[in-house]
Amino acid sequence: MLIFTLRRLSLFFFTMLLLTLLSFSLNFLFPGETIINLTGAINATPSQLIEINEAYQTHRNIFWQYITYLKHIANGDLGLSMASQSSISTEIVTLLPATIELSLVALYIAMLVGIPLGFIAAIKHSKLTDNLILSISMLGYSIPVFWLGLLAILTFSISLGWFPSAGQISLLFEIKPVTGIQFIDILLSDSPYKWQAFSDATAHIILPACVIAVAPTTIFIRLARTSMIEVLDTSYIRAASAKGLTFQQIIFRHAIRNSLIKIIRHVGLQFANLITIAMVTEVIFSWPGIGRWLIESIYQRDYTAIESGLLVLSCFIFVVHILTDFIYAALNPLARGNKYGAR
Amino acid sequence: MNLLDIRNLSIELIHDDQRILAVDKVSLSMKEGEVRGVVGESGSGKSLLAQALVGVLDDKWHVHADRFHWRGVDLLRLSIDERKALLSRDVAMIFQEPMACLDPTTSIGEQLTEAIDSSQLTGYFWQRKKQRQSAAIKLLHKVGIKNHQACLTSYPHQLTEALCQRVMIAIALARRPILLIADEPTAAMENTNEGQIFRLLASLNQLKNMSILLISHDLETITHWTNTITVMYSGQFVEAGTTAQIFGKPLHPYTRALVDSSPSANLHLPAKSRLKTLPGSIPILQHLPIGCRLGPRCPRAQQACVKAPTVTNFHGHKVSCHFPLTPLKSTPKKTRKGTS
Repeated sequence: MLIFTLRRLSLFFFTMLLLTLLSFSLNFLFPGETIINLTGAINATPSQLIEINEAYQTHRNIFWQYITYLKHIANGDLGLSMASQSSISTEIVTLLPATIELSLVALYIAMLVGIPLGFIAAIKHSKLTDNLILSISMLGYSIPVFWLGLLAILTFSISLGWFPSAGQISLLFEIKPVTGIQFIDILLSDSPYKWQAFSDATAHIILPACVIAVAPTTIFIRLARTSMIEVLDTSYIRAASAKGLTFQQIIFRHAIRNSLIKIIRHVGLQFANLITIAMVTEVIFSWPGIGRWLIESIYQRDYTAIESGLLVLSCFIFVVHILTDFIYAALNPLARGNKYGAR
Repeated sequence: MNLLDIRNLSIELIHDDQRILAVDKVSLSMKEGEVRGVVGESGSGKSLLAQALVGVLDDKWHVHADRFHWRGVDLLRLSIDERKALLSRDVAMIFQEPMACLDPTTSIGEQLTEAIDSSQLTGYFWQRKKQRQSAAIKLLHKVGIKNHQACLTSYPHQLTEALCQRVMIAIALARRPILLIADEPTAAMENTNEGQIFRLLASLNQLKNMSILLISHDLETITHWTNTITVMYSGQFVEAGTTAQIFGKPLHPYTRALVDSSPSANLHLPAKSRLKTLPGSIPILQHLPIGCRLGPRCPRAQQACVKAPTVTNFHGHKVSCHFPLTPLKSTPKKTRKGTS
């Protein structure tokens, strides 16, 4: 297990190195002066510019420039936003937790709904239930998310009035940010209206999270269905039924774990897709997350923000990817430890 | 009373509105304590027959039989659930490729303990787990695994193929079956392991009077271990009798060819000469010949062979052929070679 962890960490390290290389090269590809793109100091006086050039070592060759850039990132200095002239790293620290919260809740909903539905479809393979679930998932997959978001606001917040249409929490509640993750902050705060705030935040998150979850859910349905059909066709399932286990026992003791292993691998991959959907949804629901901020930066040609935002988001996706790898290893004894005869 | 009595069992494959008769009217009967071998080339429907007996075939296979008696109980009159309950209590099965038949993500101990029927256990539910554990260890000892602790905690991929087969046998024994169906238990195993597995099965037969249905493609290996043998070809019944009858004086041209094709029968051939085999190969399921399916390959085929032959019985030696090799009276053993 230690070797497995070390391998994943080294993979993380080298992928991050490549990502920084990409974001560093973006400075040269964007229009405008490289050093301004890198730091976002558009209003700098000539004397400040000299200082900045010194800090980023522009007089040396490109390799050393890259190393200094890495040093700045490691110190948490991502430059200034071109649009607001405030530090990007502080903006990201305040915005990223909201996105993490929203996307994890959406992923949770997608897995909780999609995987069991897929299993049911596989068990009732090529019967009415299966066809029904498949056609619903097809429908869910084909609806564009921006339209679905608007439709959801129209029905659930305007005509029915069940959920609020925008924001993360009502402005009435004053929650001091400690961790940045709203729900944890609410629980940590000593406000007398703690539980009202909690239910209000829950009402705010349900609609956007469901809208984000629709497309991944349909993908999980398909993944779960195919993997379950595959597993049910294997010889160990036949052997299990030959040894006298009932169908329920076979499903719960053997089939579910084996098909989950096949699905978990894809969850990490689907997460990148989910983040993309989350960015669009954040704009629609005015969610104060990094996705909306990134899209606004793109509108404003805020190159420094685009570059750092991409770096942070891809880092987050990669962390989730590695976490799913660990879950995979926990479920699958074949992935842990040494293979037979591989020493 | 027969332990198992099956008459005219047919298995059909429904595929794209096409009905393919994979197993065509095969009869099989077994006595208590008997070791019966089922022999045939790969694709002759032996495994299908075994899986149909235990009831683990998919929906795309349709099984039909004229008679299916298990220890005097007519199984055709029972509902599917009752039949399954009865058979899973009394019949156990081990498969070829044992490693693929064990769940790769569950430890051996868990898979072994869940096979133990809770009716065998006594005491309250908090004592059950311990009882199951000790029962599992006993089962492992029975199949000759001494290092039980390491075996129970390991996963299938950490064991060898032969050990996995022993575990499969232990799982099969957990319900104390009366009949054990072994579907090519030693396929893809070295000779020493093969011998061990067969010796284990033989000792189970002798010590516990457990009947064994041994399925194999290799006539010569299983003759050492069986009392009676049924030969199948391309889903049809060919010949059945005691091992001595089948091996000593086969009546069917196909059995004769099988016996002659074994290495020991070919020992006296001059070097670099061709081994004795039937011409051609087993027909594919989409293009089965009518009548006797051996027809196109049979050295004794005549016009009558386009109709399927009926089974004739010579003193318990059953054969399904229009022109059996040595009809009615038994012939001396020296004519064994050269007739085909």
